[in-house]
Amino acid sequence: MSAAVLEQRPQILARAAQGDLDSFSQLIDPLLDPAYRLAAVMLGDRSAAEDAVQEASIKAWRKLRQLRGDAQSLRAWFLSIVANECRMARRTRWFSVIRVADVPAQAPDDRESHSDLRRALMRLTPDERLPLVLHFYLDLPLDEVARTLRVSPSAAKSRIYRAAKRLRADLTIEEVF
Amino acid sequence: MSNDDFRRELNSTFDQVSGSPSPGLRDRVRSGIAQAPEARGPFWIATVAACVIAVLLVGVLFVANPLRRPSSNVGPGVPTASPSATPSPSPSTSPEPQLPAFVCASSVAGQHPSSEPVAFVSDLRSGTHAGYDRLTIDFSNGGPSGAVELKPQSGTTFTQSPSGMSVTTKGRSGILVVIHGADLHSAYNGSVDIVTGYATLVEVKRVEDFEGVVQLGLGINGTGCYRAFWLSNPDRLVIDVEAGNQ
Repeated sequence: MSAAVLEQRPQILARAAQGDLDSFSQLIDPLLDPAYRLAAVMLGDRSAAEDAVQEASIKAWRKLRQLRGDAQSLRAWFLSIVANECRMARRTRWFSVIRVADVPAQAPDDRESHSDLRRALMRLTPDERLPLVLHFYLDLPLDEVARTLRVSPSAAKSRIYRAAKRLRADLTIEEVF
Repeated sequence: MSNDDFRRELNSTFDQVSGSPSPGLRDRVRSGIAQAPEARGPFWIATVAACVIAVLLVGVLFVANPLRRPSSNVGPGVPTASPSATPSPSPSTSPEPQLPAFVCASSVAGQHPSSEPVAFVSDLRSGTHAGYDRLTIDFSNGGPSGAVELKPQSGTTFTQSPSGMSVTTKGRSGILVVIHGADLHSAYNGSVDIVTGYATLVEVKRVEDFEGVVQLGLGINGTGCYRAFWLSNPDRLVIDVEAGNQ
């Protein structure tokens, strides 16, 4: 997000809350990529992830006036909507499609270890994957992870560590944070 | 595997799983949002419709008053239909098909079908309606064992029992209500002198509450005609005093 946009965010947020679509787009555009990545990991389905991001964006647009706090809270607020949309998508989806074509080609040497980690990752529930994505992949600070998960920072820390331990049993808490 | 290796491999795995969003995602989102206000319409219409239905439902329940509970101790009450019991004698013209006719002479309202040795009056309620004012006498444990007499009189002076002292009510004439097999002190703690402020039934005053007999003096304006009947659930005696040309 550019510095100019960051500086103007309170005004943009106010305009967006009053129904200005361009202002809302300015705010939401930089968040679409992390939102998509979060949804894709949670759902394990790229097409469903884009659907979830679209639905979440529409909900955010409709509920922008309910956003508590300032524009700094927008990212955590929006990502929490995306995560919720992913949960709903999983509940309503009665079948899953494995898209073989989506899996990129890998070097033979890397394939084994990556696929082990990937298998371990996909064995986690989407709600277990969520704190890992927020912390490791999107690199959010702990308090923002907590706000996205709508839990306390200590609970967020605990969730991240617990999920990471399920991927690598010998992991210490110092290695995670 | 070091911590950095773990992070690197994990993020690489995340990359594999998620890939990059399609280039058209922004446009797709924007177009979805642009159409969103249209989706608000049915939502708000549904909300408004739900509110209207709720208000109508509450209104119907209020008017029907299925529990037959009074809305207040003294004040305009909702006339309840379905008389369960004894119509008063000497029928003449009846303004409401389900209710007995007004009478202008002394009468006995009859015994309540599920009579108790001593029925406890639990409430005295009054209400005004087109053509009549109503006094409702609620009983908490069933109707009284004895008869109920209604005695119209020309004046508004009643003789208290057992003291023998006179009491006077407002109005131009009166009706003495005598309930045998009842008391007004076991379950009733309201006023024993109710000035209604209505045009026809202007005052209700206790005349006797002694040895299982309750007498109430009604101060009235109007014709002095009345009708009395029992209703149940809760058990209650209803006395309508007919309005006259004032």
